[in-house]
Amino acid sequence: MSNNCHSLRVETAMNQKDKKMDHAAAQLEKQHVHDVYESTAPYFSDLQSKAWPRVRQFLQEQKPGSLIADIGCGTGKYLKVNSQVYTMGCDYCAPLVEIARSRGCEVTVCDNLNLPFRDQRFDAIISIGVIHHFSTKQRRIRAIKEMARILVPGGQLMIYVWAMEQKNRHFEKQDVLVPWNKALCSQPLSEAGQPGRRQQCGRPERGPPYHPPCSACRCSECSEGRRDSKRSHSVDCDAVLAGTCCANTSEEGEEDNGFYNMLGKSFRSWFSSRSLDESTLRKQIEKVRPLKNTGSWANSTISIQPSRHSSFDLGHPETLSTGEQNVDEEVFVEPSQGPLECLRAPTTRKQLNGDHPGVMRRNGDANFLGGTDAKENCVDEDNVEEDTASGSKLWGRVSAADSTDSNPGDAISVEQQPDVLDSRAFMRYYHVFREGELCGLLQESVSELHILSSGNDHGNWCVIAEKTESCD
Amino acid sequence: MRLLTHNLLSSHVRGVGPRGFPLRLQATEVRIHPVEFNPDFIARMIPKVEWAALLEAADTLHLVEVPKEPIQGYEHNEEFLRKMHHVLLEVEVLEGTLQCPESGRLFPISRGIPNMLLSDEETET
Repeated sequence: MSNNCHSLRVETAMNQKDKKMDHAAAQLEKQHVHDVYESTAPYFSDLQSKAWPRVRQFLQEQKPGSLIADIGCGTGKYLKVNSQVYTMGCDYCAPLVEIARSRGCEVTVCDNLNLPFRDQRFDAIISIGVIHHFSTKQRRIRAIKEMARILVPGGQLMIYVWAMEQKNRHFEKQDVLVPWNKALCSQPLSEAGQPGRRQQCGRPERGPPYHPPCSACRCSECSEGRRDSKRSHSVDCDAVLAGTCCANTSEEGEEDNGFYNMLGKSFRSWFSSRSLDESTLRKQIEKVRPLKNTGSWANSTISIQPSRHSSFDLGHPETLSTGEQNVDEEVFVEPSQGPLECLRAPTTRKQLNGDHPGVMRRNGDANFLGGTDAKENCVDEDNVEEDTASGSKLWGRVSAADSTDSNPGDAISVEQQPDVLDSRAFMRYYHVFREGELCGLLQESVSELHILSSGNDHGNWCVIAEKTESCD
Repeated sequence: MRLLTHNLLSSHVRGVGPRGFPLRLQATEVRIHPVEFNPDFIARMIPKVEWAALLEAADTLHLVEVPKEPIQGYEHNEEFLRKMHHVLLEVEVLEGTLQCPESGRLFPISRGIPNMLLSDEETET
């Protein structure tokens, strides 16, 4: 059987050095992706992260009777968007998959790097906010090639990754650890006694005039409707409910946007004046946790990202179109103590045991270990910046600001918020993409995919690519 | 795990390749969960089904006899479509195992979710 044109599993022969690198990368991802998602899963609710319109559109445009895979489906927010297709959800994180399952979705626990499907099975695949969790270029390529492998010729793959270039924040580096603030999340599902949709996001006890987004829904219809819809291709509840529930929120959102915009300016100025200095960072990190094998760890190329946005788990109404990429950080306001104050808390957290996240060996290849010089030659005529979104997406950030501090000038004393302390330990690793990097990656390393379109959607670089027809 | 899902899954133990399909199903807990019948959807799914694998799985679960192949004019045969709808979408394996036919490796199904994760050793190049 001729298989030259079929994209088989990438059987790269890895030498010893590559293996070590790959192992280190896997360890980093275990600690700062998988373990974090697993630990924070109880606080997730599908209502807290709404489907992105363009992704929904992509799914709705698929032919009836298509087989679709959502690789990295999380709690399954895209799995029921189109009732005329069969969508498999796949995720590494079992607790998240359980949540998706409880909504009646078909799901499996698996690894993007080793997808348990035969070649050429799916008519379309989505990968939303996943590839940016792989910590080396080789792994990112492998993940994309795996998805291409299981795609039918002519089938389409949509990829969303977090962009380095953001309107309202500044990433020092492409490889960042982003904290997660549990305090901004809904109550754990177990405490809620049922899928936590009834619980409110945000912590009312923490002061300010904070209007929880409606999507974190108190509407009985929402939770009831969701619970009952176990059918594999029933009407998409998300769309229906979002419409009814979110009507109020947008009005509230506008009002609060005004407040945030005021606040925002002072944040922005504070932020730029305190942009992370890598050596300071490293000193702080070294103070906090002793390094192992300092000899072989040359340069720190990951930065801890103190950014200003609320946790994505806060919940964003449909209208906002914010996805996980724009959230899940907390406000760091510690002018006197420095942005790394939070790191002292996590030393006791077992999640941060083991290898130091901030220091990895430098490598000549363009993976994060050596810093990335992305090829900026992507043909990207479709780069659309959706300015209208930036106002509404600030909704979530208001909450963050409100919750952790009301005055950007005040230092946050971490000790005052013991429950927040723990949460800051949940630092998620991201490789944020430069403009053109994702396209470049596909063009250079994944010849079985042909780029159809690319652009920017709410702070994410996105690509739609098509599996090239086999040449048999 | 529905049988349509089973029809998609394959073992990816290193070196196994296409011989990792179909996974041998063993079920200790099954439930029937009614799903709204959508004849058009089922008709479109039929060509995508690996029939032998479906037969084997349905047989394991002692399901109503599935035809050896799609019957002529199945697109308009409601009885056939309803039968397939039932087999593909309404039977859920809640607890059981999936076994790689080549390597023998077992993948668990718990609470309706197959766990296809491999250990580092099993995936190492």
